[in-house]
Amino acid sequence: MQDRDFNRALQADDDTRLTQSRLLVLALATALVAGLAAAAITFPDDFGRLAPLALDSLPRSGVLNPVTAVLLNYRGYDTLLEVVVLLLAIVGVWAIAPTPRIWFKTPDTPVLATFVRLLLPLMMVVAGYMLWLGADEPGGAFQGGAVLGGVGVLWAAAVVWLPRAGRPFWLRLLLGAGVAAFVIAAVGLLFLRGNLLQYPPEQAKTVILVIESAAMFSIGATLAMLFIGGYPRREEAK
Amino acid sequence: MIFETAFWLPIGIMAPLLAALCTFLAPQRMSPLVTMIGAGITFVAVGFLSASLVRNGPARHTVGGWGAPLGIDLAVDGLAALMLMLTAVVGAAVALYAYGYFNFSGHGEETKRRYASFWPLWLFLWSALNALFLSRDVFNLYVTLELVSFAAVALTALAGKPDVLRAAMRYLLVSLVGSLFYLMGVAYLYGEFGVLDIDQLKKTVTATPSLAAAAALMTVGLMMKTALFPLHFWLPPAHANAIAPVSALLSALVVKGSFYILLRAWLEIFYPLSHTGAPYLLTGLGGAAILWGSLQAIRQVRLKLLIAYSTVAQIGYLFLLTPLLFVKEQSPIALSGIVCFILAHAGAKAAAFLSAGAIQLVTGDDRISSLRGLMQMQPLAVVAFGAAGVSLAALPPSGGFIAKWFMLHAALAHGDRLVAAIIVVGGLLAAIYVMRVVAPLFRQPDDAVLHRLTLAPKTMTLTALGLAVLALLLSFAGIPVMEMLSIGAVGILGIE
Repeated sequence: MQDRDFNRALQADDDTRLTQSRLLVLALATALVAGLAAAAITFPDDFGRLAPLALDSLPRSGVLNPVTAVLLNYRGYDTLLEVVVLLLAIVGVWAIAPTPRIWFKTPDTPVLATFVRLLLPLMMVVAGYMLWLGADEPGGAFQGGAVLGGVGVLWAAAVVWLPRAGRPFWLRLLLGAGVAAFVIAAVGLLFLRGNLLQYPPEQAKTVILVIESAAMFSIGATLAMLFIGGYPRREEAK
Repeated sequence: MIFETAFWLPIGIMAPLLAALCTFLAPQRMSPLVTMIGAGITFVAVGFLSASLVRNGPARHTVGGWGAPLGIDLAVDGLAALMLMLTAVVGAAVALYAYGYFNFSGHGEETKRRYASFWPLWLFLWSALNALFLSRDVFNLYVTLELVSFAAVALTALAGKPDVLRAAMRYLLVSLVGSLFYLMGVAYLYGEFGVLDIDQLKKTVTATPSLAAAAALMTVGLMMKTALFPLHFWLPPAHANAIAPVSALLSALVVKGSFYILLRAWLEIFYPLSHTGAPYLLTGLGGAAILWGSLQAIRQVRLKLLIAYSTVAQIGYLFLLTPLLFVKEQSPIALSGIVCFILAHAGAKAAAFLSAGAIQLVTGDDRISSLRGLMQMQPLAVVAFGAAGVSLAALPPSGGFIAKWFMLHAALAHGDRLVAAIIVVGGLLAAIYVMRVVAPLFRQPDDAVLHRLTLAPKTMTLTALGLAVLALLLSFAGIPVMEMLSIGAVGILGIE
């Protein structure tokens, strides 16, 4: 049943004839795009008028990079929820299925293992540098986290160690650290200063850096675990 | 500080979030306990927030201390407080039910492991819904929508069967497309008006092409997520194949989240477009949803599919009165009708899904023909389903009745006879599909069936019954709801 559906879907993909219904869809989609483009042309000239305000407030934000100021300070609450999305993704994926068995085969080639051994320390340093850079230049937790995600994937592919670990506390802590740091800072500052995530201007940079560091490790671990996929089962390597 | 309304606003969001994190970090056997503590704190926050709202009026919380337009503001008014209370009450009842459900049916290593994810996922969903109800920033609302969707999809997939995985995948894709439509609408709003805060948008919006583009994009995106006919196709398989407590959460709360944004967006941002045909288009789709959903519900052979199609029909009522929201005389009554309907439907639909789940656990299947004679074996579940049915069919005394009474009042006062006719016909059709389930329950059972049945645990049947009784008691809530909605009045009264 499922195979038949799948084959039919494949055949449908190969079918490139312009039927009447497809022409109708094409016409409607073109009209929609034209309408949206026409509306976008009428935007006023001072597009993005919050930018000057964001730049003016930079001295009170604790960082020099306006993008970091928006992400971690002005709209830090959005970023908090985005980090929660990542944790939620892991919980969701773990709820569905165990890790695919492909991860339990040790690669035969020594090239990968050697390559990874050389590259991993370097990538960790790059990630840390990107995080530190984020305060003043383009960079930050998400960029550093993406590099760390690469580290995790390579590590898992070469060493076959992570997927066999089950669901140990250190792994869960690594995945949840970003949310934990963010929520603790948010609620702590709510009690200390009356508003959620209201940093004291003098210590803003320190708080942002602590949150970003925790978030970077969580983002990296999350990306790697999402790539590996599934609930990490406890099994012996073959 | 601790006695100010503004202080408690973010607690309602952070308490379930922190609890979700703890259920993830702590050993899985602690999850129900952690959930209970988190739920308790959230209850206190929501209760304090609502009480203090009634005493001191609407309140605002400036996250980060920046304030709009640079920062993000949270705010509570009557409408938001009602949604917070609804989520707390229905959510807590469903969690109690889930505890019984998992103890009764969660056997086997694999099933146990999957069901253990229910607790963090449900707490994430609760936090995301509260964040959605309190947010005053259109971009922040996008983030909360994403959180709600991901939690809902993951909860749907918990049932673990191939059918449900296919339904969850489709739900995920529809949800993502809906979110992207919404996000594109946000881009148009920011491009044209340069702010994201709803209160500032409210003051600056004019009927420009960009506003029309934003309205079209956001309305279509949120219609997909709310499953308004003809974009409802994903809902019946997802809601019917999920496990019972999840079905209840999806039908009672999740679709109301996206509807809440749609309602607020039209009342507070898109109101300059109220004289265009758009509100009437929504009325038309709402009417079509009621007729199509009810007829489909009557045709179903599976109990949970029948209830899911009933949700498709009942969502139609939420859109039926859209044009009247912009008519000064009818606006408060129409809004009260819609909000009463949200509350009554949430209670009744959750009760229906929960009692169906209890019945399904003991009969082992989900066909309506297997329901014969269950009144004798499962009286509590059957009474719960019957009471929920009374509210779904809007018979007095029930929350459904008072909601439709408000709706009929507004429609007739404005001379919309067709809308009034659809409300009445929809109620009759609902009575038919409810009777299709209730009638066999009272028949004489087969002896063979009698012997192999066990009783569903009381935690399950009693929570279903409790929610159904609440849906009935809402018949007394008409005036309190109206008074609550007048606090920080949204809509046409708030704009003047």
